[in-house]
Amino acid sequence: MLSLENIDAYYMDFQALWDVSMYVEKGEMVAIIGSNGAGKSSLLKIISGFLKPTKGKVIFNGIEIQHAEPQDRVEMGISLIPEGRRLFSDMTVLENLELGAYTKKARKEKDITLEWVFQVFPRIKERINQTARTLSGGEQQMLAIARALMSRPKVLLVDEASLGLAPIIIQTIYKTIQEINRSLQMTIIIVEQNVRLALEVVNRGYIIENGRIVGTDTADALLNSEDVKKAYLALG
Amino acid sequence: MVTAYIQILIYGLINGALYGLVGLGLALVFGVMSYLNVAHGALIMIASYACFWLFHLLKVDPFLSSLLIVPCFFLLGVIIYKILFDSLKRFPEGQKTKNSLLISFGLLLILSNLVTILWTADERAVTPHYAGFVIQFFGLRIPYIGIGAVLFAVVVSILLDLFLSKTYFGKGIRAASQDHEAAAMMGINVGTTYLISFGIGVALAGIPGIIVSLSSFNPSLSFELTNKALVVIILAGVGSVYGVLLGGFALGLAEAIGVLFIGATYREVIGLVLFVLFLLLRPQGLMGKRS
Repeated sequence: MLSLENIDAYYMDFQALWDVSMYVEKGEMVAIIGSNGAGKSSLLKIISGFLKPTKGKVIFNGIEIQHAEPQDRVEMGISLIPEGRRLFSDMTVLENLELGAYTKKARKEKDITLEWVFQVFPRIKERINQTARTLSGGEQQMLAIARALMSRPKVLLVDEASLGLAPIIIQTIYKTIQEINRSLQMTIIIVEQNVRLALEVVNRGYIIENGRIVGTDTADALLNSEDVKKAYLALG
Repeated sequence: MVTAYIQILIYGLINGALYGLVGLGLALVFGVMSYLNVAHGALIMIASYACFWLFHLLKVDPFLSSLLIVPCFFLLGVIIYKILFDSLKRFPEGQKTKNSLLISFGLLLILSNLVTILWTADERAVTPHYAGFVIQFFGLRIPYIGIGAVLFAVVVSILLDLFLSKTYFGKGIRAASQDHEAAAMMGINVGTTYLISFGIGVALAGIPGIIVSLSSFNPSLSFELTNKALVVIILAGVGSVYGVLLGGFALGLAEAIGVLFIGATYREVIGLVLFVLFLLLRPQGLMGKRS
């Protein structure tokens, strides 16, 4: 459904990604794991269009999209839940959700999507008239997910959804993301520093180090691999 | 004696309505894309000339001419943005402000001098038959044109606020002003949003231009108006439409009160003193949002 082929990418003179290739099948949930600064977020930026590759292709449903602008990719069905949530904090919860459904197609189905999003996140419904900044951290993360869902994405990109949240809330949030994947067959790519957490919810994982993909396997195999245990799970 | 005081305050409110209108366009553009368009005063002055020529050559009523001037100024804004400001959008916030300040200051000088060359520096005014009419009650005199100014300011503010808070495009503008990257994540075309916002900002210069043309104006007014607009947005912050209107009224009243107690000679100084005081003591403005 979505694949990257031999991607190189730079921030000014600094090369962030080296010959990166990966793919995701429809309905699959995949994690990109790696340490701080390994290139996880850059990879999501390549997919969402905020970083343009100098080499390589991004193919989505058979179409090359590496030159498409971020807003056009949202229209195609790629939606990003950014690191740090990036809510419109001076606007109300409802306005944030409406903005999530900004694209032409999503706008038509807005009311139906809204109903559904409120079912997934009942807490959000209680707060629709509050400004986003007054929500707790966990609620803000839920709103960020809900906002991304409002665009009716085919692929959902989740960047560090656990950042700054209490463990119990992190569990709830990842359970919800897993639910969305299972019930809607929505393709999801998550980037997560908490490697164990990520591998417990996904089907497959890619390990990225210094801007290169150094390994990929099923989540179970990665959880049990000695290298992963040593490097990321602080075991062995 | 009390009547005289109230009379001065009424003039203060009428001037304040004008200042609010002068500030609106500048505040919108600065709020949305961090461009400090100091050429705004020059655009208002050009709108005054447009109104003047429409009146003199075609006998179009000045208030009615807004129906022509506002859409034309929207287009003018779109053209100016495309030629001069579009390339700045990739810069970080602070750089945007600085570079737009340089560009628009150049534009301000060019436009004021161009108008002087074309139409001389003569003092001009649009003089419809109702120009001198006043409503009298309890010994107070309220000029027709003043009522027009206040009505225009209130109506324009309400329309702009409704546009920004109720329409999808308006919400997109507000989203882009808070976080343009996050706006793009929603599927908002930030480039188009900037273009249209700038167009609206320039269109908003048309309306104060009409009100200014009804008293008297000359090319150098552009500097004075930019000056007022800057004072207004320092007083008000750029967070809300009504805040800017309120900032305008506050400046108008402050000037009027200053005239009462210090004397008319110092009228122009009052705004500048407030400007400095607010920057020192309350940089977020009266309404307390971001400045």
